[in-house]
Amino acid sequence: MTIRTLLQFNFKYYRRHTLLALLCLTGISLGVGIVVAVELINDSALSSFESSVDFLSGRATNSIISTFGRIDEKHFQEIWTNRRVTAASPIVDVIANTLETDSEPIRFLGVDPFLDAPFRGWTPQLSGKDDLAAFFAGDPPGAFLSSDLMKRFNLKVGESLTALDAGLEKKIRILGPLTEDSSGGLGENIAVMDISSAQEVFGRIGRLDRIDLLVEGSVSDAFPALPPGLKITDANSRKSTLTAMLYSFQLNLAAMSLIALFVGVFLIYNFSMFSVLSRRQDMSLLLTLGCDSRSLVLAFMIESVVLGALGSLAGVIFGYSIAAYSVGKVSSTISQLYFLVNNLNVGLSLRILGIGVAVGFVATAVGVTLPALEVAVTPPVLGLKRQSIEDRTKSARAYLFMGGAAFFIFSCLSVWASRNSIFWGFASAFGMTTAFALFTPGLLSPFTHYLGVVFKKSHRLLDAFLAARNIGASLSRTSIAVAALAVALSMTIGVDTMIFSFRTSVYSWLEDALKGDLYISPDTTKWDHPLPETLIKKVEADPRLDSIERYLALDVYLQGRPVKLRVIEPEILEKKARFKFVGGEESHKAWSQIIKGGVFISEPLAFKFNLKVGDFLTLDSPDGPKNFPVVAITRDYSSDQGTIQMDRSVYISIWKDDRVQSIALFLKPGASIEDVRKSVAALFKGLERTIVSNHEMRERVLSIFDKTFAPTATLKGVSLLVALLGIATAMMAILLERSKEIRVLGYLGLTPTEIGKMNVYQGLIMGVASFLIAAMCGLLLTYIIVYAINYRSFGWTIDISVNKWIFVETLGLTMAACFVSSLYPSFKLMRASSAASIKEE
Amino acid sequence: MDPLIRLVDVKKCYSSGPTCEIFPLAGVSLDMFQGDRVILLGKSGSGKSTFLNIVGGVDSPTEGRVFFDGREITRMSSQDMAYFRRKEVGFIFQSFNLFPTLTVGENVTLPLDLLGIRDYSRAHELLNETGLNGYWKKFPEALSGGEQQRVAIARALVKGPRLILADEPTGNLDQETGNGILNLIDKICRESDATLIMVTHSPDALWMAPRRYRLKSGVLLEEHYTN
Ligand SMILES: Nc1ncnc2c1ncn2[C@@H]1O[C@H](COP(=O)(O)OP(=O)(O)OP(=O)(O)O)[C@@H](O)[C@H]1O
Ligand SMILES: [Mg+2]
Repeated sequence: MTIRTLLQFNFKYYRRHTLLALLCLTGISLGVGIVVAVELINDSALSSFESSVDFLSGRATNSIISTFGRIDEKHFQEIWTNRRVTAASPIVDVIANTLETDSEPIRFLGVDPFLDAPFRGWTPQLSGKDDLAAFFAGDPPGAFLSSDLMKRFNLKVGESLTALDAGLEKKIRILGPLTEDSSGGLGENIAVMDISSAQEVFGRIGRLDRIDLLVEGSVSDAFPALPPGLKITDANSRKSTLTAMLYSFQLNLAAMSLIALFVGVFLIYNFSMFSVLSRRQDMSLLLTLGCDSRSLVLAFMIESVVLGALGSLAGVIFGYSIAAYSVGKVSSTISQLYFLVNNLNVGLSLRILGIGVAVGFVATAVGVTLPALEVAVTPPVLGLKRQSIEDRTKSARAYLFMGGAAFFIFSCLSVWASRNSIFWGFASAFGMTTAFALFTPGLLSPFTHYLGVVFKKSHRLLDAFLAARNIGASLSRTSIAVAALAVALSMTIGVDTMIFSFRTSVYSWLEDALKGDLYISPDTTKWDHPLPETLIKKVEADPRLDSIERYLALDVYLQGRPVKLRVIEPEILEKKARFKFVGGEESHKAWSQIIKGGVFISEPLAFKFNLKVGDFLTLDSPDGPKNFPVVAITRDYSSDQGTIQMDRSVYISIWKDDRVQSIALFLKPGASIEDVRKSVAALFKGLERTIVSNHEMRERVLSIFDKTFAPTATLKGVSLLVALLGIATAMMAILLERSKEIRVLGYLGLTPTEIGKMNVYQGLIMGVASFLIAAMCGLLLTYIIVYAINYRSFGWTIDISVNKWIFVETLGLTMAACFVSSLYPSFKLMRASSAASIKEE
Repeated sequence: MDPLIRLVDVKKCYSSGPTCEIFPLAGVSLDMFQGDRVILLGKSGSGKSTFLNIVGGVDSPTEGRVFFDGREITRMSSQDMAYFRRKEVGFIFQSFNLFPTLTVGENVTLPLDLLGIRDYSRAHELLNETGLNGYWKKFPEALSGGEQQRVAIARALVKGPRLILADEPTGNLDQETGNGILNLIDKICRESDATLIMVTHSPDALWMAPRRYRLKSGVLLEEHYTN
């Protein structure tokens, strides 16, 4: 018998089972799609960020930045006159929202057009005299915008833009677009202003954010010694420090995609195995008729290649659409949490295409070839009997269970090993999931049996009794589907419980740390918009206030890595807030020491830099490096890079910087929060946008938290969908294989409705079984994620709290979905069983 | 007395298009009273199983009417037909058709469960009678063909149906085992005064009923033998 005959045979099979073929392809393409989508999103975030760094650096060979966020203008002269420096351009670089482009922030670059000309192609050509005047001394100050931005928001020359600086409205006149050749295709929202206007508008008089340089030869030769607190970088090192910040975000996505991949592969295997096994009889017959097993396996391998190719293709398209759909959300999350990215472009690279196709092919090949091999080596006589598969499953059950136990032990050991490398944390999660997948047949069989006994005893749910027995009888099918659904569900439960625990921990931290009655806190704290001094003076003067606390957060470098420095007022916080000190620090001691020049560090910082109470950390200052003793380690979830907290007066005395980015208002007893809020908001235009109550402040932090985990929800949904398709196929499988028994039920007098109901019960029982397995596995996964993954990557402690609603919701969702996925098979069954005649063999 | 079963000019045709291609039943009429027995003969493909299915309310005729105890089953909804089968008809098949997923006991009590009868004593009695009392908790795959058929008979008769339809019940068994099965059917039918229609090819089974019909070209021909 030739391969061609066999292939035709297989093709005919799929033509007769179109739905099955479609399910099979959908399973493959969903599995591939998830992986592709995650890779695409990761790639596009990184590449857009990198191209933005490149663009902003222009032709600069190097830049000088400050290790504490600001460069004193007076240093420029010294750098510019350095003999090795061919060109230098002082830059003010501020990101701000505007009323006109609401959701899209704009990067305002303050430059000296003459000094900056050698660096960039896009420096605006100042044509007429009017332009020149408007640019240098306009009132309101003028700016050139990227032409794409003007087009998208329909901004016209001569109109004004209202930038929000610390929430306060600042008018800027639009002078025109940046020259087309250079700003076209740059994909970033840019406004170029005169440097001194920018300094004035954004409260940075006398200060620079960066100095771009063109240096001849080696930089270290050019600058044997820089003024203290300054640091020389180039585009590449900037890219790598900032890319490192994305680590946690990508870790989150990567973990999800791994688990989704796991579910995906499982299902592809499930689908293709089903398609092979349901042809088992035919195959055995072919073998009996003299077909050799080598060509049989070969035919199935060719089939898997075709399926894999089609499925992967559809999967890549599907993944691309998910990525394109969610990229907007992702970019706003990244902008909010890490750095500004605009207009992410989803671009399919060869690498991603390769990954997607490989996933599709490998899983399909394994799924098709393994069972085909099994049939090929089975003597045809045995193969003819359907029951022999189930018999074999029965004996395999014990082995699978033992395999599961091995994975379980492996997972526990990996938790222990995760202290060495995070790799083991993932290995542990993977091992635990695999363990429960392998436990599934062993658990499912007694479960359905006793469930059957209970239903039988009740004398009522006869259809449910039959359903339970059917599942138990088709373990080779049902346990794969149940395992796949259980894997998806345990991921849902595990991740949700982790997020819930995390959120609860964050919430209780916020409750302790944020005690102000009102906050003047622009969303844009991260963009370093200081509040005007006059504003603070006026607010402070309000007689209804007990006290205010000034706050400043800036990016500083600790051992070359960016961390957050939070400048606080301990005298006030000690009285008002409750800090949680890790390791049982005596709180009054810690508070008295921070005033004397000590620092509090957050758990992630302590973890990353391996610091303990009593150690010293070194920060750059205008007077050179300074050592600070660590006096306490605090619970603090504000940044995964780690935070250092320092007394405001200590900071000012060293850095000579009295910026304030936000203030907390503590009212006297009896004062009305609403009244104070109204009168404070009336002081400055736009202030009503930034003054928030304690509750709103917490909500704002939590909403950022929720955004971080938003992609998780999407991925979770997709893998759940994949798993439910698995349930639907398993039911189709039972339907195909047990059609004769179902007909006999008709002879015994079961009505079509009862037969349909029986099938629905099958779906529901599989759902419950999956849920029960997932509940156990999910809880264990939570511990693994919290202790072996989260703690090992970020260093923060999360108190695990179990939310029963996660379980209720998951169960409800599963039941609803299983119900829906059982509808079509049940409907088919009811139609078939109303003409229930039986064929004798 | 009214007949228990009455078929009036029953026709059945199978077609893939508008015209009738296969005509297994081309106008069959038959009356049977409570306790009557009929043997149905005919070549393979002559329509015997089709006939049983129509009488048992599994299949519907293309034309004609079928009555059971005065009720016209050809007018029933598929739901009511199921209730009719559940209560009145016991099927016995050539290939036993036990549920491999259910134990012997569960197979036999299934019809009682369907009727909401919680008293399983009749099931135990029947299994005793068939000599299978130790088999209650076993699964069918552990039984021989003859034992499986005895379980199938117990399952068909446990609810005390008034009509028993047997389609070549001994077709898969050797002669000796087959005779045992026939005796068992005979005995239990006699006890409950059930009406029996049995399809068979085996000359050994002819003693079971005095009336024999042969299905040929879609019509029933009564045959008369003298033993
Ligand atoms: N669903 C169907 N569709 C089309 N033709 C059918 C169908 N069921 C039965 N037939 C045809 O009707 C005829 C009678 O079939 P039936 O099964 O009643 O024969 P039978 O007498 O029981 O045969 P056997 O002794 O082999 O069991 C056969 O020619 C068969 O091909
Ligand atoms: Mg027949």
